[in-house]
Amino acid sequence: MLVKDYMTRHPILIEPRKHVTDAQRVMTEAGIRHLPVVGDGKRLLGLVTRQRLAIQPHQLASLDVWEITRYLADLTVADVMVKGPDLHTISPDATLEEAADVMIRHKISGLPVVEAPGNIVVGILTETDLLIELQDLLGAVDAGWRVVMRVPDRPGEFRKLVRAIGDKGWGIMAMGSVRTPKDPKHWDLILKVRWCGREELLDVLRGIPDQEIVDLRETRPPAAGPAAG
Amino acid sequence: MHSRPPGKIGQPVIRVDQLGIAYETRQGLVHAVREVSFEIHRGETLGLVGESGCGKSTVAYGLVNYLGRNGRIVRGEIQFQGQSLVGRSEEELRRLRGDQISMVFQDPMTSLNPVMPVGEQMAEVLTVHRAMPKDEARTRCLEMLRRVYMPDPAKVLERYPHQISGGQQQRVVIAMALLNNPALLVMDEPTTALDVTVEAAVLDLIADLRRDFDTAILFISHNLGVIARVSNRVGVMYAGELVELAAVDELFADPRHPYTQGLLRCLPRLGRSKASSLLHPIRGRVPAPDRLPPGCVFEPRCDYARQACRAERPALRALRPGHHTRCLFSDEIDAAAWAPPADEGRPAVADSRPAAAGGDPPAPILNVAGLKTYYRHPSASPLGVLGLGQTDYVKAVDNVSFAVPKGRTLGIVGESGCGKSTLIKTLIGLESPSGGRADFIGFDINRRVSQRDLAIIRELQMVFQNPDATMNPSYTVGQQIERPLRRFKIVPPAQVHAEVVRLLRAVKLDEHYYDRFPRQLSGGEKQRIGIARAFAGRPDLVLCDEPVSALDVSVQAAVLNLLMEIQREQNTTMLFISHDLSVVRFLSDDVAVMYLGQIVEIGPAEAIYAPPYHPYTESLLAAVPIPDPTVEQEPIRLEGSVPSPLHPPSGCRFHTRCPRRNLLPAGGQICETTEPPWQEAGGGHRLYCHIPLETLRGLAPVVKAQA
Repeated sequence: MLVKDYMTRHPILIEPRKHVTDAQRVMTEAGIRHLPVVGDGKRLLGLVTRQRLAIQPHQLASLDVWEITRYLADLTVADVMVKGPDLHTISPDATLEEAADVMIRHKISGLPVVEAPGNIVVGILTETDLLIELQDLLGAVDAGWRVVMRVPDRPGEFRKLVRAIGDKGWGIMAMGSVRTPKDPKHWDLILKVRWCGREELLDVLRGIPDQEIVDLRETRPPAAGPAAG
Repeated sequence: MHSRPPGKIGQPVIRVDQLGIAYETRQGLVHAVREVSFEIHRGETLGLVGESGCGKSTVAYGLVNYLGRNGRIVRGEIQFQGQSLVGRSEEELRRLRGDQISMVFQDPMTSLNPVMPVGEQMAEVLTVHRAMPKDEARTRCLEMLRRVYMPDPAKVLERYPHQISGGQQQRVVIAMALLNNPALLVMDEPTTALDVTVEAAVLDLIADLRRDFDTAILFISHNLGVIARVSNRVGVMYAGELVELAAVDELFADPRHPYTQGLLRCLPRLGRSKASSLLHPIRGRVPAPDRLPPGCVFEPRCDYARQACRAERPALRALRPGHHTRCLFSDEIDAAAWAPPADEGRPAVADSRPAAAGGDPPAPILNVAGLKTYYRHPSASPLGVLGLGQTDYVKAVDNVSFAVPKGRTLGIVGESGCGKSTLIKTLIGLESPSGGRADFIGFDINRRVSQRDLAIIRELQMVFQNPDATMNPSYTVGQQIERPLRRFKIVPPAQVHAEVVRLLRAVKLDEHYYDRFPRQLSGGEKQRIGIARAFAGRPDLVLCDEPVSALDVSVQAAVLNLLMEIQREQNTTMLFISHDLSVVRFLSDDVAVMYLGQIVEIGPAEAIYAPPYHPYTESLLAAVPIPDPTVEQEPIRLEGSVPSPLHPPSGCRFHTRCPRRNLLPAGGQICETTEPPWQEAGGGHRLYCHIPLETLRGLAPVVKAQA
């Protein structure tokens, strides 16, 4: 679960001397929101984002229509890119949580992934990649039972739950735990369970003392048989 | 772990659209590549396959505009990472090649500087291009060499390119190509110059790297087996056009273009024996790019051609999602219903062995016992005094014994440097034997060819690998074939011309070829002349040294069929050398496997290709690329390269690389100290190995075809 496992390798890149219109076209055609700007040897110089391509009205207010045309024709990628202290990056060996932290703190939707010596661009990590991680983490792409249990904040609760399912020989594909929102005395545990039926799973879960079933639903039901997952 | 489907997300790394490339010549523009379109995504390998001259390499060079002074892109568009490559300045392309596109060529030495240590060249990529400090760059290079499974990488960094083997050189080139983490890797026949065992390891490596680095790879090869092993999708090229494009499994299981179907029928398959199959070459030959037929480019050679094919040039169209073909009738043509045309020859070839089982084979025509050919080592150092001898010898052929009965074919296989060519050269008299005995119909043939009787020379002829090098360029075809006829007085002088014409017909060439010069012939035609010349004196024994290795598959099929036909008609005995195990299987009755100057396994062809195997034979079979992606092979890979024949390993010579040694007690210590015994496996099948036959019999077959 490191950045290098989830980033997109070989992102589309652009050079600083290119026209802004080139950047605009590349981003539209490729359907991307972040375009790293690089010099020789893929050294990161800046980042073009969709917002950066939106022209601020005050920049144009003083120009007449002919000057606008010339202004636009002369505008290069280097003029509009995010650079200097506003440019945030992440290392391929960082954790995804670290990347998420940078993105949340600066309210940005993507990070160029760079290797330390020389700031070489090796990939790009966007919100989408973090959502894919979340999806993987919750086992959302496989068929099975999605269970949310609310348990007291004390040692041993997690073990009780896992053992109850493990004793039956069922599989746990994914699990996560968060402190219950607005209730610091409890934790919500989410599990993705497979190789079992709804009723037998309910029986087992109900039998665990002090734990409450918050939610149980089937995701992507398998076409045939419980073992299909 | 990862829910993202590989490759297909987002834009392709490269998209080629209706690409046309032409060369300026004195005859005007020659359109070498026309209307080629494909795309490659991240982590995907597109294989481009086709015969020589069909434009595969031109496409590759076109991508990076390496077309030379007279070549240029005349049409179409190449989009790399969202931006057009066509019309970019030389400087921009240079930077792009350095940063995002890497190329690996057939001959690794063309990419390596011979006067610079490997480490320095590799580090240059990082220090010059990325201004990385030297020690950091060195660490990176070392890491990358480890990544390409280079044995002893730290030492390799210090060496010069000529001090490492060909397989290692190619690994260095691949490592160098990956140092700057390219988005696109173009590989042009990267394993063609390598031995089959090394090739297998390099292909494994390429597959691993594609997965780990998410690189898009354009992989060019003439070898369908190699293509089947590495590609996700395959494009088949013919005469400058892409005629079929499909996922690898689909292309091999259900080829829809007649040319693809024809190519697959040309290939000798490992599973097919001499008795069971005839190859079906594609008739005619590839049209020159300046003399294309008006309609479909394949129409003159196509068995299904109709009026419509002559009238219009078909466009590449999708038969179903992901499967494209450039044929008007791809939906109708049923490859399974194909039958060879009537003029092609007999439908099946009779077994050349006189009687199936029980019958005594005819008396051996060639008897070789303990044959040795040593070369004196040129720089005998004062320390090189070993054992009995004063000087060092390269033991190219060491104690080889076999017998070949009349009318049969003995195939000889082995990696390069195993001594197979030296063996044949010794028999024909181009090298003098250092010991042992070889007799041919009772005559001792230990003398060099210059001292042999004319009668023996006549009975012992050779077909060479490279027909160019063995033909006098200033003699016409007729004169070349006449020469042995006159010299050996095969026919009276008045009938020489008629006999030459007869021989030309026998190799499927008409008499117009009589007055042609070698430069006016294609490679396949030259090899036919070579065969006609070898068979002119109606020899008893013909030695073939890789006669089809330099030929394209469709030509190879025709030449192999021809060799078999002539052999059957004249009841000639053949020794056939090839590094290609499928070809050997197709042509041979018996097979000998050589390693480091010795035969390690010999026997009837079908026995060699099934357990019990000698561990070396087993590794060769595991490595041979098979043109069928559904076939599974045991992942047995030989480590390292063939040891020097100057100081061959003690005991069993294969012990340094043997993957099966651990089947013996104490990890096969005996292999290091004692020469193995010859074990009889029955039916004339013999193995030179310490491992008991029962153990070897218990091993699973290396090649598993799906039912």
